[in-house]
Amino acid sequence: MKFSDETLMAYADGELDLVARAEIEAAMAEDPAIARAVERHRAFAARVKSAYGGVLEEPVPERLADLVKGPVAAPVVDLAAKRAERAEARATIGRWRLPQWSALAASVAVGLFVGMLLMRGPSAPYEESEAGLVARGELDDALTQQLAGSVGTGRVRVGISFRDRGGAYCRTFHLEREAPLAGLACRSGEEWKLQLLAAASAREGELRPAAAMPMAVLHAVDAAIEGEPLDAAAESAARDAGWRTNSDVAE
Amino acid sequence: MLPRLRRFARVITRNLQDADDLVQVAVEKALIRAEQWRPGSRMDSWMFGIMKNAWIDEIRARRRRERVHAPEEAGADIGDASAEARDIALSVQAAMARLPEEQRMAIALVLVEGFSYKDAAETLAIPIGTLTSRLARGREALQAILGDSGKAG
Repeated sequence: MKFSDETLMAYADGELDLVARAEIEAAMAEDPAIARAVERHRAFAARVKSAYGGVLEEPVPERLADLVKGPVAAPVVDLAAKRAERAEARATIGRWRLPQWSALAASVAVGLFVGMLLMRGPSAPYEESEAGLVARGELDDALTQQLAGSVGTGRVRVGISFRDRGGAYCRTFHLEREAPLAGLACRSGEEWKLQLLAAASAREGELRPAAAMPMAVLHAVDAAIEGEPLDAAAESAARDAGWRTNSDVAE
Repeated sequence: MLPRLRRFARVITRNLQDADDLVQVAVEKALIRAEQWRPGSRMDSWMFGIMKNAWIDEIRARRRRERVHAPEEAGADIGDASAEARDIALSVQAAMARLPEEQRMAIALVLVEGFSYKDAAETLAIPIGTLTSRLARGREALQAILGDSGKAG
């Protein structure tokens, strides 16, 4: 029985199916030259791999690590200025709209990607569902219970609450952790669906939660919001009604 | 993830400076095209595919610029391994530097990253038969350069 070198390599790489594997193992038992060839391929593969092992131990240069930290612009949110800007944008002609929305789509995608890179693992405060990413754990709890601007004891701070053009409730949040995250979540059924996640800078103090809100989140709010952010009374009422909207009740 | 991207880049570009530049370009491209990544699919495979394409674009551009591109020797980028391990690593890296890009990429994915043939072929967007033949030719060439063809162990 004669095997090509390519077949023996595939065997050494664990790539052959059961039958082919059995044939080679039988041949190895009979012919030491075949066994040696397989061993040589295995040892060679290990040698090549170990030649590059050191790269994994090296510290990642800052310029690369910075890339996945994402947008960290941290302006203080001035809602009045934002409202004025928005009114101006609406007053201009309709062709403004499309680029605005595609910019939003791009920033949503970037935000989610950066979020996935930054925060994978079992303790992630969100998980993938058929509907996309939905909030879980402390993030879900805070979005459901916490009133905007209140200083809770957890790591999540809710920024503003508003209704989007489809009528659904949306809330911005800031999650304090080693690599702080900010984002926008909108109520969908019984869950908070994440619209955007972005790296944020650390909060400068308890009293300025808005200072850490990245531009990407602000843009997403701007593009999604219908009317004005909820005031404290409206927000409290919405929470007490379980964030259900009229269309939910009708269903 | 970043250390693995850097390792893959080191294998396919052959030097530290190019490798980190490639990682930077690839991450930037990935951030721009993040919506093309399908949740649930392998993110590493997707990133390596982006790196492969970015590197091929880069070498084409260089060849246009220079016509001849002499491979640089692998530099002092081995970390603090023992002298012997460093020599072996250097000789493997120097030998790798002499292989064609396509063989180097196949070796980078299968031998260094531990991808299955199927995943490696998908990452490089080539048929699996092409992958296995590039891998085999690359290995044979490497062994020949390193002078251990036919030797056991």
